[in-house]
Amino acid sequence: MLHYKNGEPAGLVTNIQKYTIHDGPGIRTEIFFKGCTMRCKWCSNPETISPLRELGVYPSKCVRDDKCGLCVKACPLDGAPIRFDGEHILASLAMAQACADCLRCADECPGRAIKLWGELMTAEELMKIILEDLSFYRRTGGGVTLNGGEVLVQWEFAHELLKRCREQEIHTCVETALNVPTEHMEAVFEYTDLVITDIKHMDPEKHRAYTGAGNELILKNIRRAAELGMKLVIRTPVVPGHNNSDEEIRAVGRFLRDELGGRIIQYQLLPYRKMGTEKYDSLGQPYPMGDFVPPERSQWEANLLHLASMLQEEFGLPAVPGSGAKLEL
Amino acid sequence: MALTSTENVLKYRDTYKHAAEIDVHPQAVEPFDKEWGVGISGNTPEPSPFPRINRILKVTQKSTNGFVAPDRAELVTEAYKAHPGEPQILKCAYGIANTLDKTPIFIYEDELIVGCLGCDKKGAPVHPEFGLNWVVDEMRDGLMGYSEERTHDYFSYTEDTRQRLEALRDFWDGHTVEDMTNALITEEERKGSHDGKGVFFADAYIFCGAGHLGLDYDRLFTLGFGGMLREIDERDAALDPALPGDIEKRLFYKAARITCTAATRHILRYAALADELAENERRGERAAELRMIAENCRRISSDPPTTFWEAIQLVNLANTMIHIECNGHSVSYGRFDQYMYPFFVRDLETGAATREFMQELIENFYIKIWDLNKLRNHILIKTFGNGGIGGPALTVGGIKKDGSDGTNELTFMVLDAHAHTRIPCPWLAVRMHSGTPWELKVKTANCIRMGTGEPKIFNDDCAIPSMLSSHVELEDARDYQVVGCVEPDPSGKAYGWKDCGHMNIARVLELAINDGRCYNCGPDCPRWARCGAVGGRLGLATGSLADMTDFEQVKEAYDKQMKYWCDRQVALLNAVDIAHQLVRPLPFLSILMDKCVEKGKDVTMGGTKYNFTGPQGVGIGTAGDGLATIKQLVFDEKRVTGAELLDAVRHNWEGYEGLYAYVNSDRVHHYGNDDDYADDLTKFAMDTWCRHIEHRPNAHGGFFQPGAYSVTVNVAHGQNQWASVEGRKAFEPVSDCMGAVHTRCCSHDIKGPTAICRSVTKLDHARATNGTLLNWKFSPNTLVGETGRDNFIALMDEYIQRKGMHSQFTVANQETLIAAQKDPDSYRDLLVRVAGYSAYFVELNRALQDDIIGRTSLSFE
Repeated sequence: MLHYKNGEPAGLVTNIQKYTIHDGPGIRTEIFFKGCTMRCKWCSNPETISPLRELGVYPSKCVRDDKCGLCVKACPLDGAPIRFDGEHILASLAMAQACADCLRCADECPGRAIKLWGELMTAEELMKIILEDLSFYRRTGGGVTLNGGEVLVQWEFAHELLKRCREQEIHTCVETALNVPTEHMEAVFEYTDLVITDIKHMDPEKHRAYTGAGNELILKNIRRAAELGMKLVIRTPVVPGHNNSDEEIRAVGRFLRDELGGRIIQYQLLPYRKMGTEKYDSLGQPYPMGDFVPPERSQWEANLLHLASMLQEEFGLPAVPGSGAKLEL
Repeated sequence: MALTSTENVLKYRDTYKHAAEIDVHPQAVEPFDKEWGVGISGNTPEPSPFPRINRILKVTQKSTNGFVAPDRAELVTEAYKAHPGEPQILKCAYGIANTLDKTPIFIYEDELIVGCLGCDKKGAPVHPEFGLNWVVDEMRDGLMGYSEERTHDYFSYTEDTRQRLEALRDFWDGHTVEDMTNALITEEERKGSHDGKGVFFADAYIFCGAGHLGLDYDRLFTLGFGGMLREIDERDAALDPALPGDIEKRLFYKAARITCTAATRHILRYAALADELAENERRGERAAELRMIAENCRRISSDPPTTFWEAIQLVNLANTMIHIECNGHSVSYGRFDQYMYPFFVRDLETGAATREFMQELIENFYIKIWDLNKLRNHILIKTFGNGGIGGPALTVGGIKKDGSDGTNELTFMVLDAHAHTRIPCPWLAVRMHSGTPWELKVKTANCIRMGTGEPKIFNDDCAIPSMLSSHVELEDARDYQVVGCVEPDPSGKAYGWKDCGHMNIARVLELAINDGRCYNCGPDCPRWARCGAVGGRLGLATGSLADMTDFEQVKEAYDKQMKYWCDRQVALLNAVDIAHQLVRPLPFLSILMDKCVEKGKDVTMGGTKYNFTGPQGVGIGTAGDGLATIKQLVFDEKRVTGAELLDAVRHNWEGYEGLYAYVNSDRVHHYGNDDDYADDLTKFAMDTWCRHIEHRPNAHGGFFQPGAYSVTVNVAHGQNQWASVEGRKAFEPVSDCMGAVHTRCCSHDIKGPTAICRSVTKLDHARATNGTLLNWKFSPNTLVGETGRDNFIALMDEYIQRKGMHSQFTVANQETLIAAQKDPDSYRDLLVRVAGYSAYFVELNRALQDDIIGRTSLSFE
């Protein structure tokens, strides 16, 4: 899917985060693209799922309609989609979806209680921001990480952006679920130095149950990426009740050893953490894991350590808990 | 020779489990990359590998509460009474000599290093020369001990103490530094000061000494007190009394001789006490230690030290005596790893001491510093909580006089000693530069990651050129130490009057755009009758923003208003300076400073080599965002008129809620986001301050140096200030040090640490020759692991390469700090960085706690 801004190819971006250190080596600038091909229940970035712009509403930042009211005044529907609870503006799904193509209220809101999720940015605009931290990349072996949503949904733009990074000799990393047409993946990999991808489950049905998609295409793409000689970091978000048993993780280990010959940079076991709930609220959506209570820190830490050492011992894999261990590139 | 023999090496090899790792390069006691955890702060029982240190820590109080010790005040008074009519400098000398001869002294269980302030641990001697009334008044009014007005840093006292001090009141009334200052100033200097509307403060040294220096360790170790006495006698003998100047010198030498011989006698008192204790000590090992302490003291009472133990003993005693004399804040311990290194090497060669024993001595030394205390009034402790003796900086690392890197094993041991004690003393500073070894960066990062707030990082590549611009010679500049919270200082060669005052430059902007009037000008103001009611104004009439037609007029008004207030602050500070010279010369300190004895001149009068006066600009970010807000909203976007913006702040944003949200949002250019629009104006705000302060002559023969930091007075200045245009409501703190603005609404910096690093280093740090400071705050999970460590080091490297002068670090979860507010008893050991120093979080007052919690947490995830 290719977007345009004033006739120029553009990416639909939800967030640009500087100084990320856990998604690739060194100090990085990470760009989050909008639109995803999966629906993982534990997703902590719900604003990146829809390929369209959306409005997020943060009631606590609202000045109150009686003291401000600029959003209602700006609204061509006389404020019909905008609801207040007597004091503050309320988030609603209707507003998130219906108003995203108007945006006049978001433009006017002084405290950014109404926030636009999804900004069109050209490669040139993004390069300007990326280059601000060039000296930090040079010092640490860092660079740029494209993430999402699913960045490969916007594969043409990603290809163009990474090409420009390569021209500036900036290290490039793509974090992708790989649930995309293989040829799109291959195109973007032309300018990709490191790939971070997930294996969320080896069983296609369980995979489908928790992510809305089977894993056949993903595993095929991972095999292809390995064939192409891509440097791979594989992750599994270890979600209690979904994939946290020894046998489920062993299945991943078997795949990595038998199908990829263990040729990966690192295998990371990530904890499930209840994050992004305030973003679901801003979109007027319920949190898909509902009131699931995650285990205590000490418990999941112990489990991740156990799983990592199990994979090291049984499969000889470079398995680590968390994403804080240094990458040996 | 119990503890310095080879048996000792064998003895410690068993108790010290890390001994096997000693050979890791560089050869410190702990491996250079030893990790102590991330964000764990002081919450570790028995942090030291030495049982002795843990025993001492167990009986060490984790707060700065103390008691009032009246002995010094009485002994000084007694000497003054015995010498009526003598020149002031001699009265001072007799006063100190009498105190050193007669004040109580103590030696405590387990300690290897002795020396205290002439009172028991945590006691604070009284210095009536600087003002006695406030001490007696606070005791009378219940403001010295624990009360609602003083919930921390409170001082107990007996009724006997109160009466003894009360009895001295009449003698000192009218004869103190405070009285003399009042005689030297007029309403013009007073109206905007701490005593008036609080545009600037200049009261730091009215009630105490200037401090903020370190003694000349080369001098101390080469000459010893005996050698200094010989020098005094020789120079005195060479005088020509027919020259009027030499009469003054003769007077100085007389005072110097009185204090120098008193110092020798004072040290011998410790020797005698140690012998006496040894005599009655039944445990043979402790008796041997006490005899060794006595022997050490006897040698250094007159001769230069020969071993590490003697040298560190002398460092402690010389500094306690300086405190007993000068009552100054931030008497600092210089470049410890440099001046102690020759002893370290020699002792290892001769076998006089093991590395482990020297490590233990350093840790004991830290606790000795933490035991010291200082009286402060109940107002000052609100912003300077948990300060203890205040400002005992100790510097390691950095380049040597010849330009080569000076990192050595002691550099590492000093940092290990902090990890082994986890108390907020001394205030550690690591000097770094482009050639700092990787191992030291790792050691420093690991120390910082603990979260105790120690050490701070100073940048040679900025500080040294900065000092050169103050005409400091190259070798002296390279040999700088950090004093107190923030200030680079030519070790042992400067009387810098650092941190003597501060100007709220955000307040200057208020007066600049409001025609010299305060926003909240009205009948409630205590100055109303003299100022507003008669159609007048506090400051200079520089016009109203309502009438200004372009932004250049705003800048011009700010510039003129700044000069007006700098003139008044300089005048007041020079008056205090003169009062010190007239009332409280410092003959003992003078003999320990470079050049004073050579010149025959007291240090207060310009006796040492370099003489500066260093006030700070406060509210840099607030002023910068204020200028950016005005430029963008009033002149570029024309979103509001100048009159509307003024009306909004006059009403404390009431009725302007939309505008309040807007100025606090990311739609407005804000300092700290790598945005030139705001960063350039912040630079202008700071440069204007510097321009009107730098190189103005001071009263002790040197000139003024501007600083750019607040430490914690941003809270106090905020409490004196109505709302401001960048989105601050009335009485909130102004921005801290070089940091970005955070108002109650939100933080103005939202782009993370790389943007902070780039924004802050667009300002001209080297121009702030009295020092700058950036407080970084990290949540622990961002620093975990090798990834967290190495990227943190890279961030610091970048800050150094970009010529940022100085960084300090808080590593704590917001949740932890909030939990500690709710349940202080469970967090007694939670050390945090305040600014310039670390303190026990639960010992701080609420406003300061909130300010620390509010600092933007830089998350890397």
